Amino acid sequence: MSKDMKFLVVDDFSTMRRIVKNLLHDLGYPNVTEADDGKTALPMLQAGGFDFLISDWNMPGMSGLDLIKAVRSDAKLAKLPVLMLTAEAKREQIIEAAQAGVNGYVIKPFTAETLKEKLDKILGATAK
Amino acid sequence: MSSFQILKLEYSACVEALTDALRGEDETAFFAAVDHIVHMREPGMFKELRQLTGDLQKALERFSIESRLQDIAENEIPDARARLTHVINMTDEAAHRTLDLVEQSGPLAERTAQEAATLIEAFENLKNRTAATSGYDSVLQSVEGLQPLVKSMERFLPAARSNSELIRRNLADVLMAQGYQDLTGQIIRSVMKLVEELETTLSSLASLSGDMVEHATMGESESKGQGPAVPGVTKGEHASGQTDVDALLSGLGM
Repeated sequence: MSKDMKFLVVDDFSTMRRIVKNLLHDLGYPNVTEADDGKTALPMLQAGGFDFLISDWNMPGMSGLDLIKAVRSDAKLAKLPVLMLTAEAKREQIIEAAQAGVNGYVIKPFTAETLKEKLDKILGATAK
Repeated sequence: MSSFQILKLEYSACVEALTDALRGEDETAFFAAVDHIVHMREPGMFKELRQLTGDLQKALERFSIESRLQDIAENEIPDARARLTHVINMTDEAAHRTLDLVEQSGPLAERTAQEAATLIEAFENLKNRTAATSGYDSVLQSVEGLQPLVKSMERFLPAARSNSELIRRNLADVLMAQGYQDLTGQIIRSVMKLVEELETTLSSLASLSGDMVEHATMGESESKGQGPAVPGVTKGEHASGQTDVDALLSGLGM
């Protein structure tokens, strides 16, 4: 996977989007677009061009989980790598996210190292 | 035997004693007889009176609780909502301020480091060149080579100083921006106090009414999300860190 991959970061808090955007920039991925909930993100994803989705769970409008379910049921997006980045930490929720088809799950508060590790792991697995 | 006959039986002796005292003009006996009659009536009357006082007190308590509840609902809840919105705004502002300063400082430090690296390289080159020669040639090489280097130094040093000063100032501002924690903490604490009062008021109202308040079960869908786990508040099993999440997911074959 090349460094000009296009990321979509979905979170209702603009500060968190900024933090993730900065971290991705530091990791060498400067191509990052933001959306503030699932409802805004879905048409952007469907319009095409994104290589990676990082989404929060708890958002007004459409939740991250519903967004991921919608992504997986869309033939064009079914294989899009998805990382969930959320404060939701209940056992059932993590299982539910896994069943919905996330490729990775990072809980907040998180570190730059954790984000990098999960990204590398997902990209390594999808590149094969 | 009718109920009046029972009354007649109970009271006739007292009434006789009262009449005797009146006839005999015996004040002590008169009052003793009156007291006796009052005592006979007392149990029922006082029971009713107690009941009445109790009801009145309950009604008064209920009234004061209900008016306090109304006050909370009308004034303090909207007020608390506004305060919490303010907390969101303050934290948002502080985070952006910090991010601005970090974004501003990074390139400054990077530029200084790059320029220093260029100078170090130039010095190394000069050192190697003069080491290769000796005597007059070496002196000449040093003088010629040092001139542009000194010029570069003259440019670099003031820039390095001002960049470092700016970074230092930005760091101080980052420090100051964290002051939001104190302020938001205080606001959140005051809202917590209100919630606590609301809880006590509601539960005393419930106990006055004599029925238990059924705790509403959380029937809402998990798909909505519930926000960060709060120690001591969040119920059910939740992962305490990334390691737990990783363990759980690898257990699911991810």
